[in-house]
Amino acid sequence: MSFLHSPRLHLVLRLLVGGFFVFASLDKIASPPAFARVVYQWQVTGPVLSNVVAVTLPWVELLAGTLLILGVWKRESALVIALLLVVFLGAAGSVLARGIDVQNCGCTSLATTETSTSAWPPAWTKGVGWFLVTRNLLMLGAVLLVASAPARREERPAPLAERATA
Amino acid sequence: MRADWKRFLLILALGAAAGLAWNAWSGRGFTLSRSVFAQAGDEVVKPDQARVLHERGALFLDARPRDFWRMNRIPGALALPEDDFEKAYAEVEPQMRRAKAIVVYCSGFGCEASHIVARKLRERGLDAAILDEGLPAWQEAGLPVDEEARR
Repeated sequence: MSFLHSPRLHLVLRLLVGGFFVFASLDKIASPPAFARVVYQWQVTGPVLSNVVAVTLPWVELLAGTLLILGVWKRESALVIALLLVVFLGAAGSVLARGIDVQNCGCTSLATTETSTSAWPPAWTKGVGWFLVTRNLLMLGAVLLVASAPARREERPAPLAERATA
Repeated sequence: MRADWKRFLLILALGAAAGLAWNAWSGRGFTLSRSVFAQAGDEVVKPDQARVLHERGALFLDARPRDFWRMNRIPGALALPEDDFEKAYAEVEPQMRRAKAIVVYCSGFGCEASHIVARKLRERGLDAAILDEGLPAWQEAGLPVDEEARR
């Protein structure tokens, strides 16, 4: 078994990415209108679709992240997170291509420069730029690795010889 | 990769359903069918309604930062930037007091400035409508934009 398919590595990746997504969902769930304002800044979809994204996305993040941490439906939850990351990367590419200045991506916190006086985390971690793209690409690699893990023994179909004798 | 796609779809559907339910019943939600910036008392007009008002001589106010107004604007619009409201208000108040109708706009649905300016005007006894989705919606409706640079 290669290092990339090590169960311990997959456990660490599941806890890290799942934990990140659960953490990322909490602020958004606590204040749907505040998250909608952040989604508007991305200007990827119109106001009504942005509203729907703002109220549904955090709960998909919470559910998929929790399942990934618990190891329940881990392939499927990893693939849901992969889908979200692909959408986020596409939206980030669109924002960067159009030159829109999104100061807070709304990835984990909804605090704006007006409402937050804290210098931490630094601004370059909050905007849409190379940090966000790199982080999402790393997480995408991690969840695709988890989703592609070989099936456990009990999940594999029984060998032909066993089936023939059953 | 052997994934059960029914489970995959179920996670998406359950998450979305939970979000919609939370928005409807938690007391923290908002109305999904209109801009999150809209508040009670805001009068929002579509570009075709704004065009009629424009033709009837309504005063248009540009709530974007003044540099944007300098670059382009709805014909005849005056600058009333939200980020420099008090100073700009004093400059345009006489025209506003004389106007039959006022329409405020900014740079699109992601921009709250027109809503904020309209509310500030209402506090001062001036009724102002808000152009829904701002200047981009006006342009998409094929309506004219003045692109002559201003100082």
